Amino acid sequence: MNHFYKTLAALAVAAATATPALAQDINTLLKTADRYRMSAENLQVDTQVTVLNTDGSTDKERRYTVFAQSDRKSLVLMQSPVEKGQKVLMLADDFWLLMPNTQRPMRITPMQKLLGDASTGDIATMNWAGDYTGTVVGEEPCTPDNSKATCLHLSLQASRKGVTYQRIELWIGKTRHEPVRADLFVQSDKLAKQARFVMDKPTNPTTVSEMVLVDQLSNKKETRIKYLARKDRTVPAEWLNPMFLARNPSLE
Amino acid sequence: MSTFLMRRSVLAALGACALVGMAHGAEVSGQVRAAWVDRQVADAGPLAQANQIQPGSASSEPSAGTAQAELRASAKAGPLTLHAVATAQARSPQGGTTTSDGWINEAYASGQALGWQWSAGKKVVSWDVGYGFRPNDMVQQEVRRTLASEALTGKPLLMAEHFDADTAWSLVWVNPLEAQSNTGAKEAALAARVYRRAGAVDWHGFARHGEHTGASLGVAASWVATDALELHASLRSYQHANSLASSNTGTSLSPTNPWQATRTGAGQQWLVGGTWTHESQIGVMVEAWHDDTALSDAQWNDWAARNQALPLWLTRRVPASAVAGNLAWQGHAFGASTNLRQDNVFVRLSWQHERWQPALDVLYHPADQGCVTTASLLWSGDHVKLEAGLRTHGGPDSAIVRQVPVQRQGYVVATWAF
Repeated sequence: MNHFYKTLAALAVAAATATPALAQDINTLLKTADRYRMSAENLQVDTQVTVLNTDGSTDKERRYTVFAQSDRKSLVLMQSPVEKGQKVLMLADDFWLLMPNTQRPMRITPMQKLLGDASTGDIATMNWAGDYTGTVVGEEPCTPDNSKATCLHLSLQASRKGVTYQRIELWIGKTRHEPVRADLFVQSDKLAKQARFVMDKPTNPTTVSEMVLVDQLSNKKETRIKYLARKDRTVPAEWLNPMFLARNPSLE
Repeated sequence: MSTFLMRRSVLAALGACALVGMAHGAEVSGQVRAAWVDRQVADAGPLAQANQIQPGSASSEPSAGTAQAELRASAKAGPLTLHAVATAQARSPQGGTTTSDGWINEAYASGQALGWQWSAGKKVVSWDVGYGFRPNDMVQQEVRRTLASEALTGKPLLMAEHFDADTAWSLVWVNPLEAQSNTGAKEAALAARVYRRAGAVDWHGFARHGEHTGASLGVAASWVATDALELHASLRSYQHANSLASSNTGTSLSPTNPWQATRTGAGQQWLVGGTWTHESQIGVMVEAWHDDTALSDAQWNDWAARNQALPLWLTRRVPASAVAGNLAWQGHAFGASTNLRQDNVFVRLSWQHERWQPALDVLYHPADQGCVTTASLLWSGDHVKLEAGLRTHGGPDSAIVRQVPVQRQGYVVATWAF
């Protein structure tokens, strides 16, 4: 009997060591991947979004300042001339929009924040851990064209309402767990966008410098979200009150 | 306004912005806007009748082109934040002379003391949860459903606000320096709002006390019911309201304008509505509202009967100018309230597709089956925004919206932001 248990234990250990990645906790993997986009609990991130036409020419360019705070709280200030004064506040599953013409914070639905080529969710949401649960599918080539690099393929399901994407197929580096690419699916389980993550240093990556999104639903346009600057910044609590949107937080 | 005064107001408006803009670390932005609004005058209704009897006895707003330059500046000056918005405008009405003007939309200082945020000056303060109508927009009293949106002009006020994570208190003294005789949007008043966030629901409570209109209390809520559906409601009960009423509801001729400002008794305004958005970015908004400050069905019936009776005086050798004048005065009824009818239904359909946003909305009056339909198209570039639209009034000939002086309006607006 003892021999039987020893054999069973040995088999279990062998199975675990044969595929160590598969045994890893999904949340730990996601937290590690998140750190490449959000290096601290509370950040100010200056972002440039460029939408490219299918021929590679620039369709439009937008600038945003994002105050990404802990507990899934974000304040997005639109900085481009045509959007100047627009603000979006995201407090976990709750969202508000302020248009400069009316100076009135309006409650909006998760669906209403899916606006434009890069939705507010793409710009302001920099975490997967806590928003998604899932499984490690296995080890696969990092890119579909059978690249030599090996990635862990994670299949993620939204664990709360209000997230931009209901399902994410995510590929992260096998060793450092940096995000490499992702397929992003909306509520109806349609593939909405394919994402590619550009790292600051290919050999020893420390941070995501750019996220490239290719629309799969309609126009096939490419959207490049470039993280221009990141700095630690904890904003005052009142900045995250929806009614404070009518004030000017960048100067308060 | 004389040319000298017009130039002075333009310079003063832009100068206020420039002063703020020159401060260290100032944020300066703005836009240049060119618009053409084409208006088609009605061939029915009391004003049309007045002009048929005696041409020129009733005027309506003509088609016009406008060019506007709007400058915005914000700056930090020690413990204070300064903010100014100014507009300079040239307007050229069809068949008229071009005029220029300038005004300050906002100019205020804000700061912090004893845990409260305060603001003093001219400021836009918009409240309430509705889109087509806002019963509890107690400070700004913004005119809704305008043809093409423009920068709002704020009200002179003193405001104190307190924020914590989920609650906000706002206390406003609006029009503090206005004379006691002023009414409507210029009425001096104290207003308060308390806001509370409770998960998927935003709760708002409102109170106002006006020099003329007395007390009013309101409550509003906005609830995100599902990922796609938001529902909202707003209710306000008031002690008095400023309105217009006619001292002559019969068929006799009046020597002077019978439509005079009046203070009505207690009443209510309420709104219920919702927005639904599909992942294809098609959005639907439906709202219904009631407004006791609008003329009642009985008042409109009297008004319509008088409109029919007045032309009959021409057969009794009464001067045409007297009949035309009385008919023209009947047009004042349209300005009695922000809503023509007490009961309204508003439906809006819109679609956001890349740079384009087409929209179609209908305002419907169940009382007389009148409707106002607006189709619009918006294109947004990096610096340029182009808007065009058409608004038309429909329904039976007896519907009130079919009597207003302008029946069709088309507009084109080009905006360059910097």
